[in-house]
Amino acid sequence: MRIAVVGKGGAGKSVIAGTTARLLARRGYRVLALDSDLLPGLSISLGSGPDPVDPPLNQAAEKNENGRWRLRKGVSVVSAVKRYTTEGPDGIRLMQIGKGGKDGIQPIMGAVNAYYKLIHRLGDARTFADWAMVADMPAGPRQLAFDYAPFAREYLVVVQPGAQSALTGRRVAKIVRMRGGAEVRFVANRVKDKEDVAHVERLIGEPVFWSLPADEGVAEAERLGIAPIDHVPDSPTIAGIEEMVAALARLGGNSSR
Amino acid sequence: MKIVVAGKGGAGKTTVSGTIARALARAGNPVLALDADANPMLGVSLGVGFEKTDMLNSVRQALDAGDVEHEPTVEGMVENFGTDAPDGVRLVVASRIDNDSPGCQCCGVSPDQILRELEHEYRVVICDLEAGIGTVSRMAAGNADVVVVVANPTAKALEVARRAIEIAQDVAEVVVLANRVRSDEDLKAITDVVGDHELIVIPEDPVIAAADRDGVAPIDLDPESPGVAAIIKLADRLAGAPLPA
Repeated sequence: MRIAVVGKGGAGKSVIAGTTARLLARRGYRVLALDSDLLPGLSISLGSGPDPVDPPLNQAAEKNENGRWRLRKGVSVVSAVKRYTTEGPDGIRLMQIGKGGKDGIQPIMGAVNAYYKLIHRLGDARTFADWAMVADMPAGPRQLAFDYAPFAREYLVVVQPGAQSALTGRRVAKIVRMRGGAEVRFVANRVKDKEDVAHVERLIGEPVFWSLPADEGVAEAERLGIAPIDHVPDSPTIAGIEEMVAALARLGGNSSR
Repeated sequence: MKIVVAGKGGAGKTTVSGTIARALARAGNPVLALDADANPMLGVSLGVGFEKTDMLNSVRQALDAGDVEHEPTVEGMVENFGTDAPDGVRLVVASRIDNDSPGCQCCGVSPDQILRELEHEYRVVICDLEAGIGTVSRMAAGNADVVVVVANPTAKALEVARRAIEIAQDVAEVVVLANRVRSDEDLKAITDVVGDHELIVIPEDPVIAAADRDGVAPIDLDPESPGVAAIIKLADRLAGAPLPA
């Protein structure tokens, strides 16, 4: 299971990524959750507590004699996952690129560079061959274009029933397919009825893989800043994501466990 | 006059930007709408149309394709690569990332550079930023007169708004929009991060939701619905703000 969750801002990426990671952990996978968003999101949906101001991955990078960032000597992808990730609920390991603040991304440039180098080694690391990986990506196409989830074999493109969201979904799916090597699966989120699903499919021009219902409980969790799976574990959205994860596990059963 | 609109993805930046642009143009101002999101969408809320917005050329792509030969000024690029939107708004897309090897996205057309170099004495420039705080953190004093921070009553959007306000207040006047407010509790959550800045409430509005659903401009659906009317009122207030010396 190597999943990246992409789409427009506000479409529900973090909720789907965080909940998927939690559910995979409860199904018995070792889970590495990957947060490459410079803005807060995944840690809230995952329920892993506040984002550290100084990302642990800052410790994994150093500058060489020419002032260029490299992984610190002795840091491998295996040791990085052990030492520079934090532990979240259900035993999830969370690797974060760090969050931008008042001084922009300057204070986290070490972590940004370490993150980018490490994710390109994750896919081949035998230690993690059995692990599930779930990446929550920032809004829009930018990181996809620059290959910020090279380990991913499934891209969940989250679209809610709206023009802007669908246009974004179409654009990011196009970039993933250009690069190849991964499945694109559209997830219609916050749908109220069949017409909403049909509307999404009309706008994106192809069928959706899964649809998740609009859910007041999840909206409330979002207002409160609590992981939906902790706040409303029996809500329709969480049940929907659970079924989707089961379907993904069946589809990817040969390659991951 | 230069107005920049920032906030979390999905907060409503594009809807607000497009509606302000249309309202200012209807009030008789020359308006340049600058789409500074690498996932450009401003055409949709301006009323250019869903499919047409997806096809718009961007300055970045024009430069890459060699369509612009030594175009010496940002003004020239606006002239050559802008699109006419309803009510006489001129729409310019800075950059569109639509492939898996996009190259440098900033050389010559970074949003902060365009904002710096665009003429704004005789017109209003309204700039819809990419989600987050990246561009705001690269802005210098004078890049904008007003930064409109769009906030929603969710924990994530408020955290982004808090960061955007903290940075923007050093370079421009800040106006905070409380978007999709449904209750006093929603408003209270937003008020807590606003500080001393001006706060404008945009009530939850089915007309705006319907416009987004179908990819049309909210101002074309119903300019008198509560949410749209609140954005138009903000546009009037911004137009009345003193122009920079």
